[in-house]
Formats: sequence, C-alpha cells, structure tokens
Amino acid sequence: MDATIHSVLSVNYVAAIFLIVLGLYTVVAKTNLIKIILGLSIIDYGINLFIVSTGFNGGTSPQFTLSELFSGQYFVDPVPQALTLTSIVIGACVDAMALALVIAIYKRYKTVDATEIRRLHG
Amino acid sequence: MSYIHFPVIAVMGQFLAAFLVAIFGSKSRKASQAITLIASACAFVLVCLLIKPVALDGQIISYWMGNWEPVSGYAIGIGYEMDALGLFFAVLVSFIILMSAIYSLRYLEHDEAVDRYYTLFLMLSGSLLGLVMTGDLFNMFIMIEIMTFSAVGLTAFRNYIPEALEAAMKYLVIGSVGSSMTLAGVALLYAQTHTLNMAQVAAKIGAMQASGGLTPTVVFAFGLMFVGFGIKSFMFPFHTPVADAHPVAPTSFSMVFSTMVIKAGVYGLIRIAYIVFQVMDKSSVQILITAFGCVTMFLGVTMALAQHDFKRLLAFHSISQIGYIITALGLGTALGLTGSLFHVMNHTLFKALLFMCAGAVLHMTGSKNLDELGGLSKKMPHTTICFLIAAFSIAGIPPFNGFASKWMIYQATYEKAVESGNFFYALVTVVAVVVSVLTLASFIKVTMSVFFGQLPEKYKDAKEAPASMLIPMWITAILCLGTGVLYQLVDRTLTAPAVAASLTPANYVDKMMGSGYAASFSVKDAVATAVQHMSYWNPVLWLTLLVIVMLGVFIVILSGDNERGPVLKTKEPVADGKYATFFSGEKYRHSHMGGSDLFWGFKHDMKPYFDFIEEKHSGVLTDYTLWTIVAMAVIVVYTFVFVK
Repeated sequence: MDATIHSVLSVNYVAAIFLIVLGLYTVVAKTNLIKIILGLSIIDYGINLFIVSTGFNGGTSPQFTLSELFSGQYFVDPVPQALTLTSIVIGACVDAMALALVIAIYKRYKTVDATEIRRLHG
Repeated sequence: MSYIHFPVIAVMGQFLAAFLVAIFGSKSRKASQAITLIASACAFVLVCLLIKPVALDGQIISYWMGNWEPVSGYAIGIGYEMDALGLFFAVLVSFIILMSAIYSLRYLEHDEAVDRYYTLFLMLSGSLLGLVMTGDLFNMFIMIEIMTFSAVGLTAFRNYIPEALEAAMKYLVIGSVGSSMTLAGVALLYAQTHTLNMAQVAAKIGAMQASGGLTPTVVFAFGLMFVGFGIKSFMFPFHTPVADAHPVAPTSFSMVFSTMVIKAGVYGLIRIAYIVFQVMDKSSVQILITAFGCVTMFLGVTMALAQHDFKRLLAFHSISQIGYIITALGLGTALGLTGSLFHVMNHTLFKALLFMCAGAVLHMTGSKNLDELGGLSKKMPHTTICFLIAAFSIAGIPPFNGFASKWMIYQATYEKAVESGNFFYALVTVVAVVVSVLTLASFIKVTMSVFFGQLPEKYKDAKEAPASMLIPMWITAILCLGTGVLYQLVDRTLTAPAVAASLTPANYVDKMMGSGYAASFSVKDAVATAVQHMSYWNPVLWLTLLVIVMLGVFIVILSGDNERGPVLKTKEPVADGKYATFFSGEKYRHSHMGGSDLFWGFKHDMKPYFDFIEEKHSGVLTDYTLWTIVAMAVIVVYTFVFVK
C-alpha cells in the first residue's frame, strides 16, 4: 500500500469518526425530533463511509469475467461495498419509519419538541 | 440427513407467512390468524424436532446458503450454524411465539387492521429465529434490525394512543443507536479479520489470544458490540424504552417483547463474549458485565416498587430479572452460565404468564391501574391462580422454577467470590438476595391490589377471560411448576448442552470450517465444563411443604371473621392524611390499606432515593440518549484500558 493511498484512507477514517461523533452529538444535544432523526442518519453515514473505506486498497474495480482474470490481479474488496449498500437501504427504511412516527406524534401532541413529549415517565 | 434443513425452513417459513398475511390478510381476519397459527406451529415443531440431534446427541448443524462452502479455509457464503446454545433460544422463541399467537386470537378482537399486526409479528418471530441460528455477523445485524423495527411497529400498533407513539419513538432512537454500534463493531472486525463468518472470526481471534493478546481494533469492536447488544438486552442505563413500551403495547406483543426480544440481546452477549471474542476468562470483562447486571437488577426492582400501572410495573421487573441473567453470565463460570441460561428460560415462562394475566385483566376490565382494580379473584379465578403461580415463580418461592435458577445464581456468585477472593462478588450475592426479597414484596403488593381486597363497584360484572386466552396461560403455568420440580430433566435436555456449547468454541469453529481448523488457529476451550449442580435441595419436599402451608393459610382464612371496613384510598400526600391512622387512632379500626400502599412505610423511609430515581426517569428522550451515550463512552474507554 503506497503513501497516497494511506493518506486517502486516513482522511476517510477521520471523516467517518467525525460524522459518527457529530451524529451522536446531534442526538443528545438537539430536542427537535426531526433533528434527532437527522443525527441518527449522520451516524449511519459515518459508519457507511467507514465500511466502504475498509475495503479500499487502491486496486481496480472488482468487476471482471473469468477470462479477464490473471495471476496477481489487484482489486478492491467487494464485500464491504455490498455491506454498505445493504446498510444504506436499512438506513433509508429507518428514516422513513421514524419520520412517519414524527408525523403521527405531531398530530397527537402538537409539538415535535422532545422535552414536551414526556407523558411516560417516573 | 434431512433435519439440517429445518433451521432454514423455520426462519424462511415465518418470513414467507409474513408476506402471505400482507397479501391475503387484509380481506379477512380469519385468514391472517390461520396463517399465523400454522406458521408458528410449524416453526415450533421443526425446532422441537432438532432437540434430539442437536442437544441430546451433541451435533452442530451447519448450513451454507446456496451451498457456498468455504474455499481453502475462507468462508465466502452466508452460513447458518445451530448449536445447542442457539437451539435453547430457538425452542423458547418458537414456544412463546406460538403461545402469543393463540393468545392474540381473542385479545385483538377490538382492534382494526389486525393483518398489519400479524405481518409485523411474523417478521419479528422470523428475525428472532434467524438471529439465534445464524453463523454470520452481518446476517446477525440484519436480523437485529428487522427485530428492532418490527418491535417498534408493534409498540405503536394501537396508534390512537398518543403514548404508544411516544414510546415507539424513544425505542426507535435508542434501538437505532444500538444497531449502529453493532454495525460499527462488525465493520471493525471485518477490517481486522477479513471475514464475517463467526466461526472464522472466532478462529482468528483465538490465534490472536494465543499469540500476545487482542489488537486495539478487536478490543474496540468488542466494546462497540457489547454496547450494541447491551442496548438490545436493555440493561442499565439502556433500559428506559422497555419501561415505556410495555404499558401501551398490545399484551400479546408485550409478552414476546419482554421475554424474547430482550433475550435476543442476551443471546448476542453470550455468543460474542463466549464464542466470537472468547474474552470471558478475563477478570476485567467479568467485572464489567457483572457490575452492569447488578445495577440493572437493583434499579429495576426499586423502580417497580414505585409503579401504579400494572404493565409498567411488570416491565421494570423484566429489567430487574434481566439484571440477574446478565450478572450470572458475566461470572464466566460454568455454574454461572447454567444459572443464567436456566433463568433465561424461567423468566421467559413466568414473565409471559404475568403479562398474559395482566392482559386478561386489562381485556376484561379495561383498566391496568393498580389503585383502581381490586378483588378480582372471585370473578376471574383461573387468572388469579395463574397469576399466583407466576408471582411465586418470579419471587423465587420453592419449588417453582424461579427458585431453582436464583439458587444457582446465588451459588455461582458466592462460589466466584470464594474462588477469586474478590469482595465485589460477595456484594453481588447480597444484592441478588435483596433484590429477590424486594421482588416478593412488589408481587405481594400487586396480588393484593388486583386480585384480593374489595371489588370496586364498576367491576361487579367482570367475567373470566375467554378459553383461547386461558389455554396458553395454563400451559405456561404448568410449565412454570414443571420446570421447577423437574429441573434435572430440563437441565439434561436443554441447559447443560447449551452451556457446554458456549464453553467449547473450538467445536463451533470446527463444524463450520472443517475439522482441525480450530486447532490450526489454537482456539482453546474457555473453562472446564464440569458443573456442580445444586444437590442441596429437593423440589418434591418443597412442593409438599408448600401444599401444607397453603392448606393452613386456607383454613385460617375460612375460620376468620369477615368484618371489613372501607379501603382507605384518599389521594393525600404521603406524610400525613391516610397514613396517620396507622400510627395511632381507633378511628378506622377495620379499615384496610389499599393494596398499592402496602409498603408505604418502607417507601416513606427511602423517600430521597425513590424521589431521585423517579425524577431521573424524566421521560425526556434526550436525557435517555445522553445516558446511553455516556455509558457507551464509559464502556469503550473501560475496554481499552483494562481488556488486553
């Protein structure tokens, strides 16, 4: 692995951790339910970036037929890409469900402020 | 042999049935109920047929999806692997799913759109079965996600109740953080080991353990996955969604939620700690898990004492009992794990029964407020007897099953204290006993306030629950007594094989990756598997004693006079008012204390503590997520510093 790949990956990992921490901060610090859901999505994006980075090693795209294969061929790991796609799809479904819940909550409580939605406590 | 297909058929059957219900269920309620019943009965039968080969003969079933078998020592496909540990949980899941399906036939009669309920219900049961059978880390994450989001949907099923939406939202946010942390842990493990197959990951980590200890990446992955499964098992301080979800969710879902959805997290903890990471021989990990379990059980039971809502009270007891399970599994000894798994089974049985009783009361009277209910024993005798059996079990009265497992847990913690010479474990034993006493106190309160005492005027025409609700209740009640009396049979068929499977990761690896694979990575079996079982008590003698005592109590009740004054139920502050009469005074000589005030003296003395915890459970989502994230940071830092 040469130096440029290494620096590209470092940036990716730092960005991924930054996104995860930013997402966690948003979930804790914001009281608006919509913003909390955005925070959850940001955590997911950070993790997706992290997963896809773990498979990247500077090789070519992992698309080839058997006749194109040659010994010592160097291509990126396709498994993390498949994982990332699955994870993105799950994340989208979670967001849809969470936003649907927020709409229903807004109809009943007339607010999306987490500090006012606390009938269940104690 | 044909039974190697059974695990996959059981899982796929549930998902297929979920789609069938979605297609054909909207026209008729009968169709969705029939599909659900058939699918859950099939899953139960298939799983039970596996007891013989897997648990008794000690085989491990491995199944590669699409027959993508490992190539030169690398797993390239998704594998299902069913050992005795997975089977133990699968039996419980499929049993509870079947009971819940029968119970829901009449319980949901007033609800609209039951096809959506059954679709989500079948997705939930399919994901639970998939979770305990899968041998692939990413597949495990997918199953957790399906489980969490069908559970969120079911929590909000009665969406005309505003609190149901609120509870679902809290569960969604905290559950989602947990899933994300699990995924991050899986990604880190993949980055380190380049495989997602649990057997292969276990082999590589075993090699790492043998040659100089875990790398920081693996330690970080363990911390994150511990947090992820900790959130799924709702241990302190991630326990808040479970308490909020129960009072508002339909009871037929509550019983699955409180028993198996929580246990899915416990299963994950056992699987990753004992088999994938093999870290349970490290004292730092043992103390971490035991400490969290210990706090969980104490906080759960004290919060339960302060509750006035029947189902919310049961929810806090679930948290408390999960504390027992986590404490015992954190000991890392064979006896501790036996107690833990036995308590998993017992908690599944008696908590399902408690929720079914609460649901029967709610269905027949429309109330779950402990201050309003009372005297239902004459109107609902079957429910009362079932509830008493469940309450005896959870409080750990011999010879019911709760006693057997709690006794093992006391022994295991005390043995650990003696072995390791660590004062902490002796303290754990004391806390476990105290929590058991408080549990008994809390259930005396519930029994007195719901089933005994005076019958309020408005429940004069309450009736017994219908047969389709009583049948699952009686089956579970008989099992509660049966597993307590015949614990040796249960231990031989289910618990002991599961413990042996958890403690021998090398077998797990070899079956999946080919024999000799584990040895080539020097995976070693964690602890010696010999267990000293509790030979110190005889359940049949206890049963005889219980019958004699009950007869005595019955005779005393019959011979006593029946004069009764009014129950004092004024809503005045604790310090004065209705309690003054109990310090002095002839004013209400025959007055009774309301059932929910039975322990007012104790609560009065501990008022600062109760006020503190009640205020902390503020109901604000951001407070709860703050606890979650602080605990996550603490766990990750702890694992980095102490787990080598």
